[in-house]
Amino acid sequence: MNKFNLGTLKMFLVAGVVMLGAPDAFSEEVVCFESRKGASEVTKKDISEGWPNVKCSPKTGAVLWWGDPFDGTQPMGEMPIEADYLKGEAVVKPRTGKLALYAICGVACHNGTFPVKNDDRNPRTLIMHQDVVPDAMNLQHGRGGIWCLDCHHSDKRNKLVDNFGNEISFDQSQKLCGKCHGPVYRDWRDGIHGKRIGEWASDGKKRWFVCTECHNPHDVQQGERNRGFAQLHPEPAPILPKGIYNKDHEQHHGSGANKEDAVESGDH
Amino acid sequence: MNVMIKFVLDYLGYIIRGDKKYYLWLGFLALFIIPWLYGNFMQLKYGMIVTGLTDQVSWGLYLANFVFLVGVAAGAVTVVFPAYVYKFEPLHKVSVLGEMLAVASVVMCLLFVLMHMGRPDRLWHMIPVIGIYNFPHSMLTWDVLVLTVYLFLNLIGGFYFLYKKYAGEPLNNKFYLPVIFIAIGWAISIHTVTAFLINTMPARPMWHHGMMPIRFISTAFAAGPALIIIVFLTIRKNTALWIEDKAIDLLSTIVVACLTIALFLTMSEVVTELYHPTEHSAGLQYLILGKHGLENLVPFFWGSLVAMVLGWVLLMIPSIRKNYNVLSFICAMLFLGIWIEKGMGLLIPGSIPTPIGEFTQYSPTLLEIGNCLGNWAIGFIIMTLLLKGAIGILLGDVKYSK
Amino acid sequence: MSDTKIPLVDITTRATHENNSVSEWRPADDDVNVDKPSSPSRRKFIKKSAGVTTASLIGTAALVTGSDNVQANTSWAEHFQGNYRLMSDEEKAEAIDRLEKRYSLEYEKEVTVDGTDAQEGVLFGYALNIQKCIGCRRCVKACVEENNQSRGDEQEIEWIRVLKMEKGEFTQEKLNDGYPGDYGIQVGGNAYSAAGVVLEGEHYYEPEAVPEGDSHYMPIACMQCEKPPCVKVCPVRTTYREPDGPVVIDYNWCIGCRMCIGACPYWARRFNWGEPQLPKEEMNPKTHYLGNRPRMKGVVEKCTFCIQRIRHGRYPACVEVCPVGARKFGNLLDPNSEVRRVLDRKRVFRLKAEANTYPKFFYFVD
Repeated sequence: MNKFNLGTLKMFLVAGVVMLGAPDAFSEEVVCFESRKGASEVTKKDISEGWPNVKCSPKTGAVLWWGDPFDGTQPMGEMPIEADYLKGEAVVKPRTGKLALYAICGVACHNGTFPVKNDDRNPRTLIMHQDVVPDAMNLQHGRGGIWCLDCHHSDKRNKLVDNFGNEISFDQSQKLCGKCHGPVYRDWRDGIHGKRIGEWASDGKKRWFVCTECHNPHDVQQGERNRGFAQLHPEPAPILPKGIYNKDHEQHHGSGANKEDAVESGDH
Repeated sequence: MNVMIKFVLDYLGYIIRGDKKYYLWLGFLALFIIPWLYGNFMQLKYGMIVTGLTDQVSWGLYLANFVFLVGVAAGAVTVVFPAYVYKFEPLHKVSVLGEMLAVASVVMCLLFVLMHMGRPDRLWHMIPVIGIYNFPHSMLTWDVLVLTVYLFLNLIGGFYFLYKKYAGEPLNNKFYLPVIFIAIGWAISIHTVTAFLINTMPARPMWHHGMMPIRFISTAFAAGPALIIIVFLTIRKNTALWIEDKAIDLLSTIVVACLTIALFLTMSEVVTELYHPTEHSAGLQYLILGKHGLENLVPFFWGSLVAMVLGWVLLMIPSIRKNYNVLSFICAMLFLGIWIEKGMGLLIPGSIPTPIGEFTQYSPTLLEIGNCLGNWAIGFIIMTLLLKGAIGILLGDVKYSK
Repeated sequence: MSDTKIPLVDITTRATHENNSVSEWRPADDDVNVDKPSSPSRRKFIKKSAGVTTASLIGTAALVTGSDNVQANTSWAEHFQGNYRLMSDEEKAEAIDRLEKRYSLEYEKEVTVDGTDAQEGVLFGYALNIQKCIGCRRCVKACVEENNQSRGDEQEIEWIRVLKMEKGEFTQEKLNDGYPGDYGIQVGGNAYSAAGVVLEGEHYYEPEAVPEGDSHYMPIACMQCEKPPCVKVCPVRTTYREPDGPVVIDYNWCIGCRMCIGACPYWARRFNWGEPQLPKEEMNPKTHYLGNRPRMKGVVEKCTFCIQRIRHGRYPACVEVCPVGARKFGNLLDPNSEVRRVLDRKRVFRLKAEANTYPKFFYFVD
């Protein structure tokens, strides 16, 4: 598959950085997001007649169903130790091609000479990237314990970094996140944390969703949620059964006598 | 053989003849068959979506009527039992009328069950050998078995008696009495099994208790004789067949006794469930008080309770119990009260809330109500015809002559 | 238990079948032995020769008459077919063939009806992380996309119900409520009055965004009980437990009595009150006889763990769609499977364990 698929091109256009290909080709595209909004996406197409690669929610644009779970994936490559997999049976969807600034960031800006290499790890006002990291000055991830260069490579910005200063690909964020989130990492390797699609057998072929496909490391406290997952629109509620015309009756929790009284007087 | 053919012809000839009142009554009942035909056509064509039933409340008016009518069918035993076990002559003379009533009730039961089925065209799947009869595991197969056998016991017992009477031959008691006594025991079984049909499901906590069969039996033995009293009084008024006061008094005593037990059991259940309500009580709370602003069964519960308690109090007073001018009305009130209690009051709140706690309401559609009325009308037509024939033979209007 | 992998029999065979347009998803190469006596490869063979056998006059008639009459004849034959579980392999193949023809005509695409049997050494189990669920209902909709349920306002059938549960509240203000005296009753009323303390879920919640901070969520579908009450009450044994675990229904044998709906403690069964509404373009053409093939009015249906997928190695649709990875599925007999790992390592419970139904669907928390 072309490394720069249509989705990538679209991102580039939006970013306004490069102009490649013919814009007409994108006019009818349906792009759906897979786990969370803002992470991996897929463009709807037919694999064969009447058999689409994905079916998407008309309400939220989320992927609801995969005709081919391995569409656009590549082998995960070297897996972390102890993981249960057969080589070639663990695949991931590469993310690097989808990142808007990925192709240029290691060249145009962070090219090793400019901006001046700075190993200062203390939080300070950022000139760039405020859009990506809204709470940069008060980064909630790690509650002030970490900052940009604990995860991002100090001079190769298109790479992440491990504890020893080695590069980690953006496609393998688990190696980075596992630095701190040990128990979760272990569960993920064993298949009981995180999302996988494909075959259920323990040695079957699966597409593994990596950490950043579901979690946004730059924004861990968004909204009213109390979980590690960002808020999103739910799919529509079931239609009310015959004989029920609204959902008022559901609003009585605890069902204490006082509340019942309040209901009868129409005050709830 | 000749006698048998003559019996059928004479019998049929008799039941289709009657006075103006008789035809008016049958004609009135037949009117209900028109919406019934339409309703059945719609339900067969479009499916049960034409009813008010939902996945939440998937058992409704049809099954409620079924449960009640099984009770009425069983209630016929209140005529047969004193007649044969206690040799109570005033009822012994007319015990065949009880059997005819049972037959009509079971037929109504079968009509309601048929209507309750999503795929009546596939009922043959239940027939052993060509289909699969999941006996003894499925309680429904028990119910089908006991009801079918009860129907045949009453048909055989009733028509054997009528035939012998018609032919002027003595009864062969070696054959007849076992049939009667088995039928008496069987009457208890039909309603017990019907109770088991719903109380063996832990998924429905409101039904899941051991009091159900006796509650079923006690209400049945109140509603059954209540209907029989009405029928007997009507027969006394409109035909030459005289049913003795003693027979009617005994029946009304049975109504009082059984109603006492029924009310006592209801009271026990209400106190047990509502003293410290648990999830078992949600259905009952919805029924009695309404829950979460949903209260369309509340008036039915209180209405039926008033009818039953009032009827019970009135029947306790001998002067009222023996006043046959008002007895019919009291019995009709009781019959209706028990119908609500056992139909709307017992069956529907069993599904509310659903096993995963969803509160809903159920309101039958007009079509559904029309179908139910039609079934009742058909049942009453059958009952009228069967009673007419039986009365004719009892009176000697129809008898074998060379 | 090293070799628990399912040979993806049907898909491999189908891939060699000339008109195979729907089996695009193929696992990595598997040299599988396709000649299990009742395997679909045999079915294909029978299918081709069915036109000349006299195994079933009705069935044959349906096959040889013109396409105009196929629909009528097949439904006629369908009406008189036996219970699927008791059919011989030939009868199963004929029944499946009839259905494939009818569905393909009705939905105007090539529809396959699979009859793959259970695999030995496999018992399917499911685990759901109730702590992770965000209540987005994607599983509910994915299930509908996969399983050909009726949809639309007239009759909407969904096999999964997600409950929103409030966390409840304890407040300072209520400390002075109630009777007698100073003893506040947090759930309302007083110590003598009956107050339901069970927190009931909301079924029809529709906030702008989920998860809401003050709620947790509880998806409920068929638990595939080891002791299924629904199976016991069925008067015609149309619903039964398959050897690999799922409780299935022969839709063609169901009489619509709804005893099973009454008996299910999890409200997992749905009834086709009217004719199912399934738009042609939305119909999933890859079906299983006991799973997602289109149903008819008047019969009961339920979750089968996506039997059409799991019998060929694929995760159920709800497992795949869950955006937070709360849903785990696998072989309970394989100690390395995801579901077994959950059972070994996490705190697990079964819903309504007191009902003694022994679900193979587990809830867990991290």
